[in-house]
Amino acid sequence: MGVNYKAVQWNRQKKNYDVVLWMIIGGIVLLFSSLQLVIHPEITAETLIIRTSALTAFVLLHLILMIGPLARLDTRFLPLLYNRRHLGVSMFLIALIHGAFSIIQFHALGDVNPIVSVFTSNPNYQSISEFPFQILGFIALLILFLMAATSHDFWLKNLSPEIWKGLHMGVYLAYGLVIAHVATGALQYENHPVYWGILFVGFTAVATLHIFASIKENKVLTALKTNAVNEGFVEVLNVESIPISGAKAVFIHNQNIAIFRYLNRISAVHNVCKHQMGPLGEGEIVDGCITCPWHGYQYIPENGRAPEPFIEKLHTYSVKVIDGKVWVNPTPKPEGTYVEPAILEQQ
Amino acid sequence: MSSDNFYVGWQDDMPPSTKKFIKKLLLFIGLITVSIVVLIVVFQKPFNNHVFEFGNTTELTGVYIAKPYPMLQLTHNSAALNSESVLLVGFGKFGAESIMQDIENEEGSLDLNEITLAGTLIYGDGVALLELTNKAQSYVSRSGNFRQPLVIDKNSELITLTGEILDPKCYFGVMKPGEGKIHKSCAIRCLSGGIPPVFRVQDDNANTFRYYLLSGKDGAYINQELLPLVGQVVTLQGIPYSHLDWTLLEIDPKLNTLISGKNE
Repeated sequence: MGVNYKAVQWNRQKKNYDVVLWMIIGGIVLLFSSLQLVIHPEITAETLIIRTSALTAFVLLHLILMIGPLARLDTRFLPLLYNRRHLGVSMFLIALIHGAFSIIQFHALGDVNPIVSVFTSNPNYQSISEFPFQILGFIALLILFLMAATSHDFWLKNLSPEIWKGLHMGVYLAYGLVIAHVATGALQYENHPVYWGILFVGFTAVATLHIFASIKENKVLTALKTNAVNEGFVEVLNVESIPISGAKAVFIHNQNIAIFRYLNRISAVHNVCKHQMGPLGEGEIVDGCITCPWHGYQYIPENGRAPEPFIEKLHTYSVKVIDGKVWVNPTPKPEGTYVEPAILEQQ
Repeated sequence: MSSDNFYVGWQDDMPPSTKKFIKKLLLFIGLITVSIVVLIVVFQKPFNNHVFEFGNTTELTGVYIAKPYPMLQLTHNSAALNSESVLLVGFGKFGAESIMQDIENEEGSLDLNEITLAGTLIYGDGVALLELTNKAQSYVSRSGNFRQPLVIDKNSELITLTGEILDPKCYFGVMKPGEGKIHKSCAIRCLSGGIPPVFRVQDDNANTFRYYLLSGKDGAYINQELLPLVGQVVTLQGIPYSHLDWTLLEIDPKLNTLISGKNE
């Protein structure tokens, strides 16, 4: 499969997004550093860098995780979603500063390779309070690196949307590791209840928003499914089970139906070719037409008509896609009737 | 929401109502973030006032004491230091023994001789260390004076103390904080590299500390045995004795008791 690489396509709102993002990052860094130097002037430069980058990345990670559910709960949050990948990459770069400085500070210039030292210096894996928390942060950073490195659309197309989305769901694993990293690391030293409170509120906010968004989504899905049932639709199969430019045949309510997936669309026609009753569901989409595997007879998927000058016509069926499942109304339309195809959501 | 308010990212501008909402939202995010930053800094543990004179080289003259840990018994006052002796440590996370060995390979035995060394000072809470930053090139000269071996009185009884095993290089100035869980891995690396282990014990009902240099029987090197106990609260039994202005605690690592669940 050929994949064309395109540079970042800037537009005004993306630029504005990044300006605001880096103003927030700069604001956190400036405020945190200034307060440290005023209230704790004994702080070393290394500690200041490690703590500033940790706090900044931690705040941004929470923001990143809250944007998704917020945008699903209220579309007014959508502008935050638009350039979220820049937010993610920025967060990773700041987390990388934290990780690199910490490894240099605590593990370099010693008798063991610094990376080996991260994994071997503290062997208290059996203890929670003494757990080697740096390993958790290290693994989280690796996950965030994979996500940042594959954040461009080039990788979305190259890896396929399914693999890409699966990889990027790793942010939740990374978040869990970061929470554990902070709880078993910094908060074992900076153990004031305020610190635990901030960690708890942050985690609770992320979790609660996801739960609410999920409840709302379930309500919408339930309503869609109820409407579909009332309109006579029947759930038949997963979209993913249909090969791209191919079909799956189903037999429901005495109807033999071929469901085709093509150009990000789904259409359904009667599964029997008008020529010699060949199984159209075993055919493919060729030049935009359903093509019978037996003798290559062709039909337009949306209306079941053979391309002119041919005159064969198939029954067509109404289709819907709800939550990744194909629903079909098994009542056949008159042969050659145009039916709006179901459009698949872009991943 | 009407279609007039539908947000499209690639358009030049967002709908006015969305823009108004986003402005309020950014203000809210800003206020929350400022609150978090202020709370974190205000409720942070204070750092100690220990000093690492990074970038400054100081020459110190004193009698070199090789065992159990390399030290200088100062014979000339140093303006910055308020101690009789200076513990020697190497560059990075290493002790000074191998550096002093390299110097002695060139200069002959230096034990109990008055010498001058150049390095980076580390000091705080009445304790001083000198990092031999330039490794073997830290040696400057010897005066020709020397002293008799130290008289060690070990008549003390076994005592039991509770505190934290630290690496003195980080704790007395190089890192802040140089103690507790977040510094544990670094302290392990430092002790593993030969930096003398120090046991910090908090005085009862006071925010002051006593420091003990730890060794095995007759000054035996026990750093590796202590590694699992670093950076947490432990109870140790040992025999204390005076060594210059330090108290050494001779311990048997097998006798130590680990009290878990609390970090300093």
